Amino acid sequence: MTTSSIYLPEMGRLVQVESMTTLEKLFTIELPGGQSLGHDPGQFVMVSVLGVGEAPISITSSPSRSNGSFELCIRRVGDVTNALHGMQAGATIGVRGPFGHGFPIEKMRGKDVLFAPGGLGLAPLRSLINQVIDERSSFGRVIVLYGAKRPNELLFRDELDEWIARDDVECHVTVDRGDETWDGHVGVITTLFPYVSINPRNTVAVTCGPPIMYRFVLMELLGKGIPETQIYLSLERRMKCGVGKCGHCQINDQYCCQEGPVFTYAQIKGVEEAL
Amino acid sequence: MKFVTQDALRVWLDQLAQEVDLVAPRDVEGHVLYRPVASSAGVLFEYQRPEMSAKDYLFPATEVLLQIEQRGKEMTLEEIVPERKQVLFGLRPCDAHGAAVIDALFLQQEPVDAAYRRQRERTTMVGLACPRMWEGCFCTSVGGAPDAADHLDLLLREVDGGYAVQVVTEKGAALLAGLELQEKKGEPPPSQADGEIVPVAPPQAWRTLFEDEMWQRHGERCLSCRICTYVCPACRCFDVVDRVTSVQPGLTCSERIRVWDACTSTNYRRAAGGHNSRPTKPGRIRNRFFCKFCYYPEDFGPLGCVGCGRCIVSCPVDIDITEVMRGVAERSDG
Repeated sequence: MTTSSIYLPEMGRLVQVESMTTLEKLFTIELPGGQSLGHDPGQFVMVSVLGVGEAPISITSSPSRSNGSFELCIRRVGDVTNALHGMQAGATIGVRGPFGHGFPIEKMRGKDVLFAPGGLGLAPLRSLINQVIDERSSFGRVIVLYGAKRPNELLFRDELDEWIARDDVECHVTVDRGDETWDGHVGVITTLFPYVSINPRNTVAVTCGPPIMYRFVLMELLGKGIPETQIYLSLERRMKCGVGKCGHCQINDQYCCQEGPVFTYAQIKGVEEAL
Repeated sequence: MKFVTQDALRVWLDQLAQEVDLVAPRDVEGHVLYRPVASSAGVLFEYQRPEMSAKDYLFPATEVLLQIEQRGKEMTLEEIVPERKQVLFGLRPCDAHGAAVIDALFLQQEPVDAAYRRQRERTTMVGLACPRMWEGCFCTSVGGAPDAADHLDLLLREVDGGYAVQVVTEKGAALLAGLELQEKKGEPPPSQADGEIVPVAPPQAWRTLFEDEMWQRHGERCLSCRICTYVCPACRCFDVVDRVTSVQPGLTCSERIRVWDACTSTNYRRAAGGHNSRPTKPGRIRNRFFCKFCYYPEDFGPLGCVGCGRCIVSCPVDIDITEVMRGVAERSDG
């Protein structure tokens, strides 16, 4: 009789907790014995605060920068995430995973890669962006168009500055509404598209953000002529098991935790419940 | 045929009740339900279809997956492993069929669900054939029969003076020690499988009706009460939640439990932040039926319905799965 269960988490240790905005914190986590999580960009883990519950969270660190730990950027929005926000470095959390299929980086090599994250959607995309930057010579142009609602909601500002400073990354940042601290671009994310010229056949687009943003970003990407099979999205679902059993993430006959959370637009086009 | 008298059957059940967790149909304040029993007293031998399926004993409505102890910063996790063997006696064949449907996902798709496998491994299923079909039953339309032995370990059929015993699996044979069997001439008569045959349209026919107006019609009157899912032997959606069980100075004990969930419930698809990607009742009702007749068979093999009819008799607003099946078959023909 087996005793190892798919529901038994590993005990991870919070090695660093860093405030990013009023809603988001960055958590750095080590697994027992310094073992590697072994994830691909775009995959997620089930994170437990034991006694409170478990929630699916995308991994924001790049496998190319693992250093024996991984990072999660977490917005406090429910029971588990609020409990996590109350935890300090040194605390123990449960980790299961990584789960799902991430971004197919092999299919992106040699191509221009356009990233269009909105708000917290930068968290899963950052994993891939940094991997692409770390293997920079394998890719064509690297374009990042990032939008947030307000300046104080922008995530990973130091890294955004680094990307902007690099001459081999075209990074543009916008906010829906500015304030006195902001002298950058103002407007929704789609207002950044005119700043970059795109060679659609040779471009892979990767986007993640709130459902309303997808609608408009997809219109832009398709309008530029990027093929549906070259547009990748990461979908949000509230997985309860992560292993294709519980039913919560089912999109018709597909399980977001198994086939996804990354899908091409061609896969989900016209699927009523996908977004 | 192998034959056992009712007296001998009772002796065997009394003995089993000492050795294993024995579950059997009982009358609970006018409701026939599968319930744990301490002896053969109170076990029903003549009953129709228990109001709830036996799913609760393989995939419990509330199941502790982990026990969590926190002493200061020290955290220990322990899985709950039931030690005792379990016998489900008097199962109707549709309930064993329901277990086989859940097996297709929980056992036959990797990774195996270890908690379910432990329940399944410790359990032997002893069926008692329905002599005929009951109100709402349509098992013969979805690959079952009132006296189907498939998916059971032993099958009993009522005959003059006692029961005919059919050994289906080795696990069933192993349970027979202590049962006084006789050899009798002849075979038990088949049950009356006279229910109406409801058409089962193939998955591709369902796909053509995703946008049909019938989902609006059925969905409008759904109360999102979820009873259809809870009485279903084949529904298997679940939620996982933690609860604190005791707090003492320096020691907090909690449990991680798995509980039944239902795709018909309002918040089933609610994600963090409130977005709900299946926000309407018609969409949720459609998913329930598509899961059973389109997605589940395509993804995992079996139909997600065993024709027990419980959802039909339980639904407070008379949503009838056979009406849906007929509607799909009729429309997809045209």
